[in-house]
Amino acid sequence: MSRSLKKGPHVDYKLYLKVEKQEAAGENKPIKTWARACTIVPEFIGRTFQVHNGRSFIDVYVTEDMVGHKLGEFSHTRTFRGHTNKKEGLKAR
Amino acid sequence: MPRIAGVDIPDRKKILFSLQYVHGIGPKVAADILSRTGIDPDRRANELTDDEVTNIASLIDDELVVEGALRRQVAQSIQRLREINCWRGDRHKKGLPVRGQSSKTNARTRKGKKKTVAGKKAVGK
Repeated sequence: MSRSLKKGPHVDYKLYLKVEKQEAAGENKPIKTWARACTIVPEFIGRTFQVHNGRSFIDVYVTEDMVGHKLGEFSHTRTFRGHTNKKEGLKAR
Repeated sequence: MPRIAGVDIPDRKKILFSLQYVHGIGPKVAADILSRTGIDPDRRANELTDDEVTNIASLIDDELVVEGALRRQVAQSIQRLREINCWRGDRHKKGLPVRGQSSKTNARTRKGKKKTVAGKKAVGK
């Protein structure tokens, strides 16, 4: 089910404030965040976020096409290292 | 033989059903088109007058995305997802289900025919 339009998109308030603050200061530093559920709004374009995936922070550079998606969609939480090969066993990576 | 939306030539069936041979027109849209153009859905496609066919065709042209244009639209949306490296795009790239379905077993529609892996059972035990 999609989100009620009445509420508007969910944007993490503190994260938004940080973006505004940087905007005002004319800075563009990567912002660390855990707010994976935060919707990407046009104000975020051109900025880099470090989105937590449960283990580490993944750099996400926001482009225009990403507006409307959530930050978490770009920071994968699972690592798939391929299936085991009978001869070689688990390939060391 | 009536010709609607490009190359589609549905014929001796009732117009309600022959319209559905157009990619992008299903039961609902077909019924909508007929009620709006005032054509009896039970008539056969080859019984329609030229005027009626033109009416249907212009309505589709004006308001609906069908056939090639629709396919292109879908392909573009998927391409967009692939390019922005989001989770859904990744699933498209990997050929796995996109909407959160289980893929441990089943999911054969997306994954294609079974690929037998030699010695898999022995590894499990």
